[in-house]
Amino acid sequence: MSGASTPTGVAVGTPDHGPADAAVALTPTVRSSVRRRRIWIGFAALLVLGAIVIFVVQGAVSGGGPRLGADNPGPTGAKALVQVLADHGVTVTDARSYDAALEGAHEGATVVLYDEYGLLGDDRLARLAMFAQRLVVVEPGFGALEVIAPGVRLAGAATGPLDDVACDVPTAQRAGSLSDGQRLLTVDDDALDAGWVGCFRDADFGHAVVFGETDGGSEIALVAAATPFENGRIAEHGNAALAIGLAGASDDLVWYLPGPGDADAEAAPTLGDLTPGWVSPMLVLAIIVVIAAGVWQGRRFGPLVAENLPVHIPARETSEGRARLYARNTARTHALDQLRIGAIQRIASVLRLPRTAHVDEVSAAAAAATGREAGAVHRLLADDAPTGDRDLVRLAADLTTLEDQVRATLAPATSHPEAGDDSAGRRP
Amino acid sequence: MAPTGRFALVLALGVVPVVVAGLAGVPEAWLALVGWLFLVIGAAAIDLSLAASPRRVALTRELPDRVRLGEPVTSVLTVQNLGSRTLRATVRDAWEPSAGVVGSNRTALTIPPAERRRLVLELLPQRRGDRRTSQVTIRSAGPLRLWSRQATLAAPGRVRVLPPFHSRAHLPSRLTRLRELDGRTPLLIRGQGTEFDSIREYVRGDDVRSIDWRATARHADPEVPGSMRLMVRTWRPERDRRIVIVADTSRTAAARIADEPRLDTAYEASLLLAALATHAGDRVDFLATDRRLRGRVHGATGPELLARMVDTMAGIDAELVEADWAIVPGQVRRVTSRHALVVLLTAADSPGSARGLLSVLPQLTARHTVVVASVADPALIDASRARGDLDEVYRAAAAERGLNDAERVGAAIRRLGALTVAAAPHELPPALADRYLELKASGKL
Repeated sequence: MSGASTPTGVAVGTPDHGPADAAVALTPTVRSSVRRRRIWIGFAALLVLGAIVIFVVQGAVSGGGPRLGADNPGPTGAKALVQVLADHGVTVTDARSYDAALEGAHEGATVVLYDEYGLLGDDRLARLAMFAQRLVVVEPGFGALEVIAPGVRLAGAATGPLDDVACDVPTAQRAGSLSDGQRLLTVDDDALDAGWVGCFRDADFGHAVVFGETDGGSEIALVAAATPFENGRIAEHGNAALAIGLAGASDDLVWYLPGPGDADAEAAPTLGDLTPGWVSPMLVLAIIVVIAAGVWQGRRFGPLVAENLPVHIPARETSEGRARLYARNTARTHALDQLRIGAIQRIASVLRLPRTAHVDEVSAAAAAATGREAGAVHRLLADDAPTGDRDLVRLAADLTTLEDQVRATLAPATSHPEAGDDSAGRRP
Repeated sequence: MAPTGRFALVLALGVVPVVVAGLAGVPEAWLALVGWLFLVIGAAAIDLSLAASPRRVALTRELPDRVRLGEPVTSVLTVQNLGSRTLRATVRDAWEPSAGVVGSNRTALTIPPAERRRLVLELLPQRRGDRRTSQVTIRSAGPLRLWSRQATLAAPGRVRVLPPFHSRAHLPSRLTRLRELDGRTPLLIRGQGTEFDSIREYVRGDDVRSIDWRATARHADPEVPGSMRLMVRTWRPERDRRIVIVADTSRTAAARIADEPRLDTAYEASLLLAALATHAGDRVDFLATDRRLRGRVHGATGPELLARMVDTMAGIDAELVEADWAIVPGQVRRVTSRHALVVLLTAADSPGSARGLLSVLPQLTARHTVVVASVADPALIDASRARGDLDEVYRAAAAERGLNDAERVGAAIRRLGALTVAAAPHELPPALADRYLELKASGKL
């Protein structure tokens, strides 16, 4: 706190120009707020640290990986199959690029191809099929079928476990049955003529596995679903037998899952190719600007101020509530009686009758004043019970009319109704 | 800490380098983005470190102590920069919303080191009572105004907003009436409620019945020896009567009738009556009560009376409790043991809520003249006349019931020996004043 001396020539209005004390700050400084919340901060840091440790440990242990990955031990991986084959002397190459797969194929290995995202272009697929001695295509896409096995088409999912082998391929015969969760392929007549054989028939819907040969003489097996190879399902029914039979047919196995690098160079340009280079950085910049603007606008200018409001109740509410109560209970007679009491009192005061006057006197006087029939006036003021809503409205209107008539007949005499009592204070 | 709009704008200007670099290639565009972010955030960090501390500030307030509702208040806050850097501040003086700050309460101030600046706000309070501010928030920007530091400082302030006393418009006409009663207009007729004022010489026009023969006999005319001067007695209304105004602040006073809470109407009526009575030479005491004594003005006269009354009234609002009328006779007795005019400002419109009042009225009417003044709801009368359709008929019936209830309560009060005044909110103060003048004229005080 510096003892500030007030310089001259400054527009100040306060008479005390001496050094002033700094106002007490209500906002805690960063340091003090950190100190006050250090337990919580420590707790949060511990949680974050723990989460990181768990994540790292889990990652190191389980690894994870893509679907049907050769080193993926998860339920959808294929580590079980690869491990078993490796233990039985099959040399397994985990090919992650097209070139590696092609190299393995050249050397006479069995190639298992699982192209989950349809990355491989038609030409590359055709070349792979041509060079590979044995090619197992797991979950072939529409494009892959067109290239490798024209005439074989996708036909949806199987209805349950399949135990009708329906062909004499030894691998399929050994398997005998397949678990639930298969997909189906159909083989049309042209394909049948070309030597394609479907196995594991699901009624007339199609086959789960299709065997055949290409023109180049390489053996092709099309397995419509990845299920028989998955760690989680391989032990069911004859899945294991089929998978081992297909993948372990030769001493060398190339396990090929195409990666993003294997997409055809001459494939259709992606969105990234079509947009200029500055679009993505600008989107990032826009997000940052929006966040900055949000913080700018959202930062509160000091705490909110509470206002202690007094209680105010609209006085009409009592009357409104009572009216709704009458309406809900259709208390027509009661409502009309209220109107009658008011009307009788006002008519009595207009006709200068005592406040305690009986309704018979008032109705007789009103009838006399207006010249209406005495019985009708009495019925209106006392006897008639409303039979319906329309009747109630009519009687209420009649009461008003009667009141107005009584007032009108006495108009000259009562032109100043309040002249009687309210001019007090004038008499000395 | 808070970024400014300028910071967001400067960040957005990064579009230019990003696009220019993007024409050269994708990596260049990313590089330009990262470079721009570093540049701007670095500038912001430097800016923030150069901003003056918003905590090293001294605050002094200049505020009027009291103001009548509806009149503007000028609030002056002097901000003195105690730090060594220029303070570029936006200042918010955190008044309550009902203090009615005119315009924005964000003020930009630039204060060089060790200097001070005045922050002038105009307030137009919207409610009576104490309107407070407890803190001042200062946002101090750096020289580039990219980021700012913010702190909230304690700087309590208070303005007491007094009831408006709109009914003072009725005061001049009532004072004229009072003067007619009072000795200032010759009043030669002796009657109830008057007391002997003086003996003076007869002038033409005086009532011959007021000639005091004994006084005439004592006054020989020095100019015409042997003859007498005719003397008359003059009379004036009684003075030094006591008036005790009791305002009911219980739940019934919270009702808003014709856009004015009952309590505010009661205050208006009390103020007009007090102003009138203090001119007439009577002594006025004011009590505000529900279950306990909420406010009391005792022993004040003249201008001080009104000042103290509005000051007491300012802070009292209706509470949602049932009034305890049993304490009222005791409170009145504590104020005066003599006969007084006791004015009860309350709601006498439903037999249920008036039961407490009716039970203590006999105690009060036994010693004092009691006037029960209550607000009548003009909306009820309107509703009772509209009978167009079924809904309106039911509403009219309910309104008639309400009017009838009020009439019954009024009759009960009158039977117990008290007087009643009931009028619409804006008519109640003059009606009560008229009733007072009437009582004064008839000597019932």
